[in-house]
Parts: sequence; C-alpha cells; structure tokens
Amino acid sequence: MPRPEVNMVTLTIDGREVSAPENVMLVDGAKYGDVEIPVFCYEPKLGQPVGACRMCLVEVEGIPKLQTGCSTPVKDGMVVHTQTQRVKDAQEAVVEFLLINHPLDCPVCDKGGECPLQDISFGWGGGRSRFVEPKRHFEKPLALSPLIAIDRERCILCYRCVRFSQEVSEDYQLVLAARTADTYVATFDGHPYVAPFSGNIIELCPVGALTSRPYRFRARPWDIEGSGSVCTLCPSQCNVELTVRDERVLRVISRVHEEVDDGWLCDKGRFAYQAIHVDERITQPLVREGGTLRGVSWERALDEAARGLSRAGSASAALAGGETTNEEGFLLQRLTREAVGSAHMDSRAGGSLPVELHAALGAPVLQATVPDLQYAHAILVLDTEPVDDMPIVDLRIRKGVRRNRVKLAVATSRPSSLDRNAAVSVRYAPGCGEAFVAALNAALGGEEKNFAELVAAAGTTAEGVRAVADLLAGAGGTGGPGDVVILWGERLTHGRRGAAAARGLLNVAGHLALAGREGAGLLEVPAGTNGRGLREVGVLPRIGPGMAQVASPGALGAAGIRDGLAAGELSAVHLLHVDPLADLSGRAAWKRGLEAATTVVAHSAFLTEGLREHATVIFPAESYAEKEGTVTHPDGRVQRLRPAIGHPGEVRPGWQVLAELMKRAGHDPGVLTGAMVSRRLFEAVGMYAGLTLEELGGRGVRWPARAQAAAWPQADLGPFGLESPPAAPSPNGELRLGTFRSIWAGPAVGASPALRFLVPKVRVEMAPADAQRRNVTHGDHVTLGADGSAVEATVMLRDAVPEGTVFMETNALDPGLVDVRKAPPESRR
Amino acid sequence: MSDKTWTPGDDVILVQRGPEPGGAGGAYRAFGETLRGLKTTFARMVEGPQTIQYPEEKTPVFPRFRGRHRLHRFEDSGLEKCVGCSLCAAACPADCIRVVAAENTPENRVSAGERYAAVYEINLSRCIFCGYCEVACPFDAITMGHDYELSDYSRSDLIFTKEMLLAEPLDRTPLRAEGE
Ligand code: SF4
Ligand code: SF4
Ligand code: SF4
Ligand code: SF4
Ligand code: FES
Repeated sequence: MPRPEVNMVTLTIDGREVSAPENVMLVDGAKYGDVEIPVFCYEPKLGQPVGACRMCLVEVEGIPKLQTGCSTPVKDGMVVHTQTQRVKDAQEAVVEFLLINHPLDCPVCDKGGECPLQDISFGWGGGRSRFVEPKRHFEKPLALSPLIAIDRERCILCYRCVRFSQEVSEDYQLVLAARTADTYVATFDGHPYVAPFSGNIIELCPVGALTSRPYRFRARPWDIEGSGSVCTLCPSQCNVELTVRDERVLRVISRVHEEVDDGWLCDKGRFAYQAIHVDERITQPLVREGGTLRGVSWERALDEAARGLSRAGSASAALAGGETTNEEGFLLQRLTREAVGSAHMDSRAGGSLPVELHAALGAPVLQATVPDLQYAHAILVLDTEPVDDMPIVDLRIRKGVRRNRVKLAVATSRPSSLDRNAAVSVRYAPGCGEAFVAALNAALGGEEKNFAELVAAAGTTAEGVRAVADLLAGAGGTGGPGDVVILWGERLTHGRRGAAAARGLLNVAGHLALAGREGAGLLEVPAGTNGRGLREVGVLPRIGPGMAQVASPGALGAAGIRDGLAAGELSAVHLLHVDPLADLSGRAAWKRGLEAATTVVAHSAFLTEGLREHATVIFPAESYAEKEGTVTHPDGRVQRLRPAIGHPGEVRPGWQVLAELMKRAGHDPGVLTGAMVSRRLFEAVGMYAGLTLEELGGRGVRWPARAQAAAWPQADLGPFGLESPPAAPSPNGELRLGTFRSIWAGPAVGASPALRFLVPKVRVEMAPADAQRRNVTHGDHVTLGADGSAVEATVMLRDAVPEGTVFMETNALDPGLVDVRKAPPESRR
Repeated sequence: MSDKTWTPGDDVILVQRGPEPGGAGGAYRAFGETLRGLKTTFARMVEGPQTIQYPEEKTPVFPRFRGRHRLHRFEDSGLEKCVGCSLCAAACPADCIRVVAAENTPENRVSAGERYAAVYEINLSRCIFCGYCEVACPFDAITMGHDYELSDYSRSDLIFTKEMLLAEPLDRTPLRAEGE
C-alpha cells in the first residue's frame, strides 16, 4: 500500500485554530496547536490505540460524554476542550484511580525521575487519595527474563508491553493473566520472556513495572548524560542514545529515527554495551615475542607493524571487517595501496563482483529505502533472514504486512521467522540462490523452455517459484506494475557464481520495472555493518574510493588472500576489526593461511581465537561508543558516530593508528583530527562530495537523494543473458548443509555478562524425518563431516526444515554435502 | 573642550561643605562621639569578660543549626535508612553528593528497601550547608548534625564517606538549652 496522502483539516482546540493532518488521533493533532493531552497507553508505534487507561479524556462539542483523545480521530470543524472543569475532574479521577494500587516506590524505583506516571500525577493529578484500604500485593521484584525485571505492583495495565509482543515483534509471548485488580503481565507459559526484541518493552512501559536488569539501580536520570550515536553491531545501524555515568556506558536506548529504526532496538544493540567495560578488552598494544603476546608501547607496536607490512610490500594484504568506519576503511585502502604498495584488500569476505555489477546493484535509481518496506505493494525477502542479518528490518516488514497489508514473499533456503506473515514462502537448496533467481527470472519473463531445469537446479518447486512471480508481478493489481522491494542478502552474490546471481537479480528487477520507481527497488542486507560504506570508500580489490575502477590486474579478494597466504605468495596480512577464524568462511584454509603468514597485524577489542594464536601485532580497537567517524546504511544514509566516552587504557582512535602506520611507511596522510579524515574522505568519494559532519548531524543524510549521486558510475542494469546455473548437489545419503550467522554471533554478545546466556550453542537444525532415518533425536550429539573436516553439534529438530537439508551456525564447514552421524559416546561433552 | 568654556546649567547643585577644621567644633568632633561610645564600654565592664576560650570552650548551637550531616540507621533492625535513591544528590545545589546504588540481596541486606547506597559521599569542602538534602530525603536518612568543626589538612579528607557519616559522632558540640 503506497504512502497515504496527507490532507490537513482544521479544528479548534481550547479556542485555538489548529490545522492537523486528517485521521490522526486527537492526542497527536493537539500537538500541532501546542496542546498537551496526557496519555499512558497510547503509543502510535504500537498500532491501533486500545483506550485502556482513560487518561486522555477530552470534551468534544456535540458529544455528550468525554472522549478518549487517543482513539478519536480529528475531524474538520471539531471543537475540543481539554481544560474545562469536567475534563480536569476526569483527569484527577483517573490519576487517583491509577494510584489506588500503585506502591509508593519512587525512591527505590528505577523509573523515578523519568516516569510518565510521576509526571502526570504531578501535572494532572489532584494530589490526594481517598483510598485507605490495603493495596494489592505481588511478589517482587521478579525476573521476567534474564534481562528484564518485572514489578507487578507498579503495573498500570496499559497493555503496551503485551501489544508489543503480540503486534510488533509478534513473538506472542506476553499476555495479561487473571482478571480485574489481580491482572498481571506474564508470559503465557510462565517461561522467561526471551526474544530478539524483548528489551523494547522496558522503554515502552510508562511506569517502573518493567526495568532493565543490567541497568538496575545503576544511576538516576540526573546522574547521567545522554550521548547520541549509531549502533554498529549490525547493518541496521540503529540510532541510539548511550547513557553515560562517570565515563561508563550504562544503558543504550533508542534515539528514534523513523527512516532507520522506527524507534526500536534489538537486544544485542540494547545490552551488548556491557562488552565495552569488561576486563577481557584489549587496552594496550600487543606484540608477539617468542610465541606469546606481550604488552608493549605504542611506538614499538607501530614500528613493528609498519616494518612488517612494508617489508612484505606487494605481498601484503588487508581485510576490513564490518564494523570498520568509512574513515578507517578509507585510510586502510590508502595505507595498503599507497604506502605499503599492495593491491590485495577486501571488505567482502564472500568475494566481490565486477565494478559494473556493484554499480548496478547499488545504483541510486534501483535503491529502495527502509521506510519503503512499509509502504510497498509487495516485498520479496531473498536469501536473508532479517532477524539474524538486519534485525530491525524484520520489525519493519511485520509492520508493513500487519498494518499496510503489504504482500510478502519469502524465498530462502533456511526456514524464516517471517514465513507466518508471508503470502508465499518458498525454500530452495542451500547455496542455490543463483538458480532460484534464474528460475524466478524465467517465470517472470514467461520463458518456459528451461524453467523446469532451473527449478530442479535450485532444488525448489515450480509452483513456489510461480507463486512468487505472480505475487510480485501482480503486486500493483490492475494498475500496472506495483511497488516491489526486494530485500536481498549479500550472501546471494557470494562465491564464484556471485556475478551470475547478481545478473539474475538485476533481470528480476528489470522485469518488475523497479528502476527509477519511487518506493520500490533493491535493498541489500550486507554481511557486515558497514559493508556498503566500505565498498564506496574503496576497500575492494579492484575498486577505489567513489567506486572508481582501479587498474590492478592481479588484485586478490578475500578468498585469494586466504589461498595466497597459505601458498606463501603473500606473507603479511592486516586485519582491521576482523578475525578470519571467527568471522569468515573457509576456516580451515584461513588457519593454514594465518599460520604461514609472517606478519599478522590486527586491530581488535578482544583476543579472539585467530588473533590469540596467529597475530604478531595487535592494536587495541575502540568500541563504537568511543569512535568518531561515519558509516553508511544499506539504503545509502551516511550516519555519524560520535564518541560518548573517553578511550580506556591506552586505546587510540583507529584513524590515528592507521595514519601513524602510513607515516611510518613513508606516506604521511596529513590528518590531525578525525574530522579531517572525514573531510578527506568526502572529497575523495564522488557521491559524498560536499557533505560535512554538521550536515550529517544526528539524522544522517541519504546520499542517493543528493544531487552528487550523479557521481555514481553509470551502470548497465540489464537485461543480461544468463548462463545455466550449476545444479543443487543431490544428497545421496548425505545431507545438504546450509550455514547461517545468528543475531547473537560476534564477540560483543559473548563478552557482555547479561547476554552471555544467549551465545549460540553449536546446534544443527534438522528435519524430524532425516533425524529418524539416522536414528538421532532432539538433543543428541552428532558429528557433521565433509571432506576431511568434522564438527560436533547438538541436534535440534525443526519441523520447518526441508527434508534432505540441515542448517548449522558455523564457518568450520562450507555449505555443501555433509555426512551426519551420531557422535561416539566418548566424545560427548 | 576646556574648563573655561563650560557653563553650568540650572541643574547644578551647590555642595554644602562641612565646617573648617579647628576650634570648638573640631574638639567636639574629636572627643564627643568617642566618649559616647566609651560610655557603653564602661557600663558593660562590670559584667565581666564574654570571651569564649575556643577550642577549650565551644559556642553552644541551636537545635536547628545545620552542621555536618549524619546518616541514620533504624534503631531496631540496624539497617540503614538510606535506600540510595539519589534524591539528595538531585536537590543539592552545590552538587557535592555522590550516590551509587546497589541491590540488597537476602545474604547482604543493608537497607530496608530494595536498594541501598553502595557509595555515599558528601564533599564537605563544597557543601554550603543549606540543608536541602535533608528536606529532599524521603526516609529521613540524612539529617544535618551539629558539628561545625570541619577543618582538615587536605581537601580530599573532606569527602565524607558513608561509613564516616553513619558513625556515631563524638559529641563535641554543646547544644543550646531551651530558652537560652
Ligand atoms: S513507576 Fe513511577 S510513580 Fe511508580 S514507583 Fe516508579 S517512579 Fe514512582
Ligand atoms: S508492565 Fe508496563 S507496559 Fe506492561 S501493562 Fe504494565 S504498565 Fe503497561
Ligand atoms: S540519603 Fe535519602 S535522599 Fe539521599 S539517597 Fe539516601 S534515601 Fe535517597
Ligand atoms: S547541605 Fe546543601 S550543599 Fe550541603 S550536601 Fe546538603 S544539599 Fe548539598
Ligand atoms: S491514552 Fe487514551 S486511553 Fe490511554
């Protein structure tokens, strides 16, 4: 459903002429005339109002009874009074009523000082209570989950948390149990409320009934300062406010940005701040001496690193991880290309595409935005699991489907949590995204010739592909092509066949006429937080800043670097915020590569496995709360990170370390501050030309919407002729393995004490029929083996997993065929 | 502009000068008022000296005198009255109170509420003894005591910790009796 048009109506509130958009609720309409109507239960983010608290009563002329302002839409010519004696009496009565059972807990209550109930009691209440009977009592405080404390006595039964669980995150766990004054909030089955977005109910609760356990009693609103920044733990790049007390981040709350996060945060973003202040963090440069890592001075570490990289020269390589900022990436590619003199670098672990395909997939005319997901006619989720890869977008899709009747098609190999919301959902064999896209392209183009072949190659069903094609092509109804947003995972274009898959995707976009269409297009889910930004600043083997083609014939990408290291062709590698053993595929090959390398320079906040064993120099990395710089959102919004706290220990800014390394390698970049690096970057990247940090401000700027977007290289958007894709491996007694990365992956979750319970267990998701055939059941230990390597895992039966396929969160095995066996008993842990 | 060209207007007021020095008027001015003052001095002399020999002797203070703070415990249970709510810190105009709260556990119950003050510090070198903290406290946990002897050799020694504030003060300051 496209964005509704906004018509203004005029009404009178408290004698003032107010013009407000049609159909907004009175509470919101009144704000246009600077009139405040107190509310508790009303929260537009939660969808339809429920009218549970009656705090918002107002008098509307022509209606005899008082009306709830939160559920009465404004009408032209309406006359509303919010200050009459009748309204005042009602407001006082409602406050008195709400406080009947509310405990006098403010001094010990974590909400105190930022509590709407306090504010409204003070501002609109009568200041007295006639209730002398005992108040209701519940056991308290209780843990609703390891992250959330619940105090049922304080609950005013506004339904906000329940509505969030039922209608926004759709995990359907929270309910109101029992009746009347005994009503309380609980999970329906009494289990802890564990869900990827559970923390949002803490912010939603208008009283101190739901509070954060990690923040419990840490600070008062007047003890703290809020500092705005951007969460860099996943590509959603939610806008956050860090609560700081005494140079420590104590809490993360949303800094509502409708175009980015809609005011929600996932639990990783909300609680993983704890990793900033743990003892495990590296806060001093380390150098390997005689096999062990030792703390050394910065001078020494910088010298060693610069010497090692320069010595290797063109036999050195650089890799940037997802959390790298644009500035760091920019300096890294300059360091590697200009100072060290090597062309081998990558920020896309799965392999990069030819520049013209990158240019086509990211072309401003084909670019969809996050809010487009909410207003499109149809969405195709292709080869990505939003809740794991870009969590906040999951909520946006649910919102679109629930409130705007957006039609959703899901095409993935692993069962998706969005399947229930989807009009069509199809499965294909893991790693066969290319064949699926080719089949979809054929279905959209009406090519019957090799359709069946393609369907078979993708390991999917013809009806499924056709259903997706029909849904997308018919999205606009009778009015021609509709607004379709294709949310596709970077994974689709990984590997050797990545370019072919990208061409297929562009063909699909062409069939749907997405180019140049407002509210439609492609939206990529990059594998790393700043995947898009790193591409645009030129951390790719043959692409320089501003997507300029760099003539460097032999330049190697991530896979080439890995093999080059193992084969001894490369001798040094510079790892910026990435640990290949933990983050990249091809673990065994990386292990060999890192072992063979003579110099491994790493920037990291934690001693992850690969670094502990192989790094020769480690620079302590900043956390995002300390960083300054910019990142680019997958929809092209350049956003600014601002430091909230000082650097702990001897940690130095990442840009400064890279600039120092350049200086030592004989190429002074001439930058003295972080802002100077940003300025250089904006000058070097055509699309960012003219941007300033001030302009980015707190909300960021979408570069595809600026005039300078013309600097984006012209790209051929197709149609392309497609080669026939390789067929899905046929499981011959073995199973197809698909891998994924869950939302809880990454060192920040494991290092945060409050989140540690969520660290993924090594599990293999299996269809019950497959398990039965192998004589294993839920909870059994199995070994998965493929070409010599084997991993152990616990079986998790999942009905939705297609037969013949297993899924596992791992990078130790590459997708392909695996052999699954019951583990011998002695290996059980 | 020179003085000569300046002609005073109508608004110029002639200043009345005092009498010239010397003569009877001068003698009176020199001694008359002094003698008047000395009359009071001599009249009081018979009352004896009023000097208080501090520090051996101390001025008694009124019960409402706002001296160094005290934190209190419940007499029966011995639990601290302070729940670490930070309201005193919010009220303090000198910003000299620092409270860091923590949660009571069944094994470690410090205060009567859910939380207690793990850190409670008052920087007395900053305090202006306004007593707002006492007014703000919902539990009468902090009150202004009578102690005014607060000198020390270093500023940091004037940061009073929770233990110091909770300790029974040496009764050093005499209280003024009723009607005194
Ligand atoms: S919820 Fe608000 S009003 Fe209730 S005890 Fe907590 S701070 Fe006080
Ligand atoms: S717990 Fe909070 S959000 Fe939930 S119903 Fe009670 S007051 Fe509302
Ligand atoms: S002294 Fe009183 S006001 Fe201050 S933190 Fe303790 S209980 Fe709260
Ligand atoms: S007496 Fe006044 S200045 Fe001193 S601690 Fe209390 S509130 Fe602060
Ligand atoms: S805000 Fe209107 S009834 Fe609650």
